[in-house]
Amino acid sequence: MARFRFPLLIALGLFVAGLALTSALKDRHYMLLSLVLLAVTLLPLFLRLERRPLESRELVLLAVLSAVAAVSRIPFAALPSVKPVSAIVILSAYVFGAEAGFIIGAVAALVSNIYFGQGPWTPWQMFAWGMVGLTAGWLRNTWWMKKKGGMLAFGFVWGFLFGWIMNIWYLISLPDAFSWGLVATAYASSFYLDLAHALSNVFFLAVLAGGWTKVLKRFRKKYGLLQE
Amino acid sequence: MSSGFRSMHPSVAMVYYAGLLLFAALLFHPLFLATEIAGLTFLLVLQGQGRGLLRGLPFYLLMAVSVAVLNPLFSHRGAHILFYFMDQPITLEAVLYGLMMMLVLLTVFILFISYNYTVTTDKFMYLFAAAAPRTTLLTLMTMRFVPLFQRRLRQITLIQRIRGVDAGKGSLRSRMRDGMTLLKVLLTWSLEEALQTADSMKARGYGIRKRSVYGIYKLDLQDKAMLLLFTVSGWIPLFFWMKGYGVLDIYPRMKPMHLGWADAAMYASFCVFVLTPLALEGKEKWLWRSSRHSSYPSATLKKTGTRFMSSHLR
Repeated sequence: MARFRFPLLIALGLFVAGLALTSALKDRHYMLLSLVLLAVTLLPLFLRLERRPLESRELVLLAVLSAVAAVSRIPFAALPSVKPVSAIVILSAYVFGAEAGFIIGAVAALVSNIYFGQGPWTPWQMFAWGMVGLTAGWLRNTWWMKKKGGMLAFGFVWGFLFGWIMNIWYLISLPDAFSWGLVATAYASSFYLDLAHALSNVFFLAVLAGGWTKVLKRFRKKYGLLQE
Repeated sequence: MSSGFRSMHPSVAMVYYAGLLLFAALLFHPLFLATEIAGLTFLLVLQGQGRGLLRGLPFYLLMAVSVAVLNPLFSHRGAHILFYFMDQPITLEAVLYGLMMMLVLLTVFILFISYNYTVTTDKFMYLFAAAAPRTTLLTLMTMRFVPLFQRRLRQITLIQRIRGVDAGKGSLRSRMRDGMTLLKVLLTWSLEEALQTADSMKARGYGIRKRSVYGIYKLDLQDKAMLLLFTVSGWIPLFFWMKGYGVLDIYPRMKPMHLGWADAAMYASFCVFVLTPLALEGKEKWLWRSSRHSSYPSATLKKTGTRFMSSHLR
């Protein structure tokens, strides 16, 4: 059985992708297709995690940072869009790079949803927070990201982008009503939540930035972790 | 305690929920969706999870109903115009389509409530341990760290309060500074200790060879029978769906629903797929009840046939 696991998984994946395409083309029903596309975008970076040479220290480091991000979400459970996760993911990616940032964001979303409830939004959150980490890692060497103001602005923008990505899974359930009016309505109704997320990102980044990057950089140097 | 459907092998539960999700996304038909919702709700109630369902319901209803309301406001397809709202025609078909989408969303929400109860994360990880060992290990370690860090944070708070560092007292500015100190202590402490864990992992040979997998679940005869049943009864509706059955065309005008033999066969097979866990759970309940009512001549309990998790650990 174990020998056939990979061919079996690939065959299953292709089968579901085929069904999703048929459903999207025939019935204009995009739910399944969106899930397949999300899986396809998450796959390469997780495959890379599986394949690349990785010290056990680095693996544990990723786990610790994901866990800290997941834990940080719990005290703020009552406030729907105040999520320190984004700030922690940005800071970790800033120090350890894009791939680490992606993994930390995605795993933090997956694990914190064990406490908040898994749902159709879990892959979307994994994608959104993964992208927060990935972009923060890509832009970490630009001159403005190294300034505190630049990083705060980056957090502010991602507060809105995160909400906009999360609105998509809701919008695709209305294929026939899709129009700029609907998009505007959905995005306007989530505006205050997104604003709260953006402002809380700025707040947490402002509070954590100096101290945390120093601690993380020290660990990176002392143990030689995730040097590229 | 896990018994009944929860005690089946993780792959059985995974096939069941994956199948249900597939059906919810593909079979755009009120009869199928309503059956799925009814089946899952009844399963949750039988498992004693009715309260959890009720707690989540207001949020889910809000999401689902807003879809039903938004669709006719923004989609004007369809032949029957009911009335005009702000100069925009509201069509019967758009209202029906919105209601159907509401059903789809409700099905998916209830499905995940049931999934969260039955397929706990350790079972999910067990299934993927062989395919993605590193991701699985990473996720499991993260999961384990969450309660540990919460406990640690409480300890740190207690100790630092004696030093006068207290995130619950003082001006906003000093509280922010103190809260940050607490988090920083947590970060440094956890990182230091986790790196020691990593060194000890390395000392014991982690990463030298391909990781072997230890499985605590055993696929027994009943699990295999269930897998076979799910596969067969799941294929039939999919096959008919590919032939064009099981989807209700609403636009441009709703087709009348008629039940031919093909629809009947498809629905029957779908029901077998959806309702089998209910039968398992019901059998369990019935055995438990009947075992309580009979009196035993000896102090040793008779074997009732109640099913528990079959594992090597027993």
